[in-house]
Amino acid sequence: MKISKTIYLFFIPGLILYSIFFLYPTFSAIFYSFTDWDGISENFNFVGFENYEKAITGDSIFVKSVGNNMEFMLFVVIFQTIIALIFAIFLVKNTKVNYLLRALFFFPTILSSVSVAFIWTFVYDPQLGILNQILGLVGLDMLTMNWLGNADIAIYALAFTQVWFHAGQMLIIFVAGLHAIPFDLYEAAKIEGATKWQTFKKVTWPLLAPSATIVIAYTTIQSFQAFDLVFAMTGGGPNNATEIISTYIYEIAFRGYDFGYASAISVLFMMLIALITFIQFKVLRSNRVSY
Amino acid sequence: MLKKKYGVFAGMLTVSFMLAACADNSSQQEAEESGNDSGGDEGSSASSEDATEISFIHWRGEDEEVFDDIISQFEEENPDITVQMNIYPSEQYQSNAQQMLRDGSTGDVFTSFPGTQFETINNAGFFTDLSDEGFVENFAETSLEVGQSGGSQLAIPYQLVFNMPVYNKGMFEELGIEVPTSWSEYQEMAETLKENDITPIAFPGADIGPNQTMNSMMMNNAKNVDVFAQLESGEESLTNDWWVSTLEDFQYFNENGYFQEDALGTNQDSAMQMVADEEAAMLATGSYHMASLKDLNEDLELGFLPPITVPEEEVEYEGIHTATFMLAVNQNSEKKEEAKTFIEFLSQPDIASQYANETGQHLTVNDVEYDSEALQNTSHWIDEKDTRFQPRYLITEAAVEDAVLSSIENTLGGTAPGEAAEEAQQIVEENIGG
Repeated sequence: MKISKTIYLFFIPGLILYSIFFLYPTFSAIFYSFTDWDGISENFNFVGFENYEKAITGDSIFVKSVGNNMEFMLFVVIFQTIIALIFAIFLVKNTKVNYLLRALFFFPTILSSVSVAFIWTFVYDPQLGILNQILGLVGLDMLTMNWLGNADIAIYALAFTQVWFHAGQMLIIFVAGLHAIPFDLYEAAKIEGATKWQTFKKVTWPLLAPSATIVIAYTTIQSFQAFDLVFAMTGGGPNNATEIISTYIYEIAFRGYDFGYASAISVLFMMLIALITFIQFKVLRSNRVSY
Repeated sequence: MLKKKYGVFAGMLTVSFMLAACADNSSQQEAEESGNDSGGDEGSSASSEDATEISFIHWRGEDEEVFDDIISQFEEENPDITVQMNIYPSEQYQSNAQQMLRDGSTGDVFTSFPGTQFETINNAGFFTDLSDEGFVENFAETSLEVGQSGGSQLAIPYQLVFNMPVYNKGMFEELGIEVPTSWSEYQEMAETLKENDITPIAFPGADIGPNQTMNSMMMNNAKNVDVFAQLESGEESLTNDWWVSTLEDFQYFNENGYFQEDALGTNQDSAMQMVADEEAAMLATGSYHMASLKDLNEDLELGFLPPITVPEEEVEYEGIHTATFMLAVNQNSEKKEEAKTFIEFLSQPDIASQYANETGQHLTVNDVEYDSEALQNTSHWIDEKDTRFQPRYLITEAAVEDAVLSSIENTLGGTAPGEAAEEAQQIVEENIGG
């Protein structure tokens, strides 16, 4: 079938918006990453690869923020995926109770991240917070902690909040994936005498691979974009223990007024996300099967 | 036929996008011309057709009501000028004000923080030189320096903030505690409070505690007022005694229960609540929280009590002050004269007194009369006490400031002061190229 050239006109509005809101900022960031622009002045100088060199070899906070981000991402990807999967398996049947529970678990996703940050800052507060109070009431005083003030655990406390925030969303994706698995495969497995674990391992998990790919890739990107939650809850502290790449970029650009350097880190950040997502797709695609 | 329809439809779609963009632009222009900004405040709506509208931007949301009233008075006195006030959250203001000032349409009168923001706006050339303006004389001369650069008066600080712990005077009187004047007396005071199950200092370590308390903790440990300028030029180091001993003081306060348990996880609201509930005797923030503390507990009688970390004979500074909320005129503005008229109006003693009393702030304006008990009780700090300008605001590099503050958090987290100072110094050197 010959496609009319007119059809290409339909791409124009989308292309214009994409160019304004994605291509232009991206190329601007790449351009400014080679300058010392302060974000305000009309004049700036080209500094070659100096900003990139500083980020890679001479900025210990950037290195720390990459490490923090990786810890945050691993915690969130592992726990969010497992929790969402377990809940999806239990809530896969379309009953009234399950509809209600799915909606309940999805509810945090529709909240604004700043509201979530306020709620969880209060939950974690060592003086007034309900988490320590509940732990104390049930006799688990030894588990009460300075959740956001202890540099060793603050990043995990934030990651847990991120899991709470988005696990419901991933649950829905998994439920949709589970519904797409043909029921006769389970019947065949049952006839063959497969145990529940064998059924999950040989039927459910392989056929959930497309959903798992989406969940893991999306969760990874979300973990890197968790700026608002981290910024509102800890601001990167204490002692940069929760500084992630996005909060550090903000810090450099809007408090340090070094847009050139912030742009260079943004470009590196973009490359890092692209690399991790590419590896994930490769690994997860190789695990896909079809019956 | 179908091909033609697609073509017409796509063409219409593209044109409609362009028209929508133009319409949006023109309606915005109309709104601007009529002085009607939906994002602004209503207090300045008394515009007449011929009046010149000036834009006033700042970050003090809590002062909106009193500014609305002051602006009404200004517009009555100056019928040919109207003021459009826009208030932004302080965090947003710190990051975006510079961008807003760029084309001159916003912020004919604007405010600036001292320190990094002042330096950045100055480097971008957005300040108008106010040196020859008569109203400069309405302000206390000692407070003006922070708004000067290259011998010119570029901004005029309006508020005077005391960044040092606020204490519960009534509690001290009840327990028979004298205000300490030396390190040994300070320790004695803290022990007495602890014996009475009272936390000496509520320290909001999760947010503003470190950046406020560092000033009074270091004021007598580093008497050299240029110490941070020298740090940024590579002549000083955080590993030297002045900063290590300051970190040791923080460590001492933390390990001996002068701060509440888990101080690093406590935010300012929780710390304020502790003081309001009289669980803690002092709040490690500053004068700007006195009105809020009184709102939480109207029976509180408050004063200032900065930490004394040296023997009595070595005390040179008694406290910390900051001249802030610096009023300035945008260099890119086309309404500079009207903007100056507004600043002159704000500098009149009766207007300044109204602002001070209704917002609970000390001001830098001469001849202000303070009505409220809290302001009267503490106003003697302006003239009678030897206070020092907030050292933190003398750090011009944000990365250096972060390194300094991180070393406090690191120490409170359990790292040895010397080690925390070394780590911070490494970050300083990365950022000053030393």
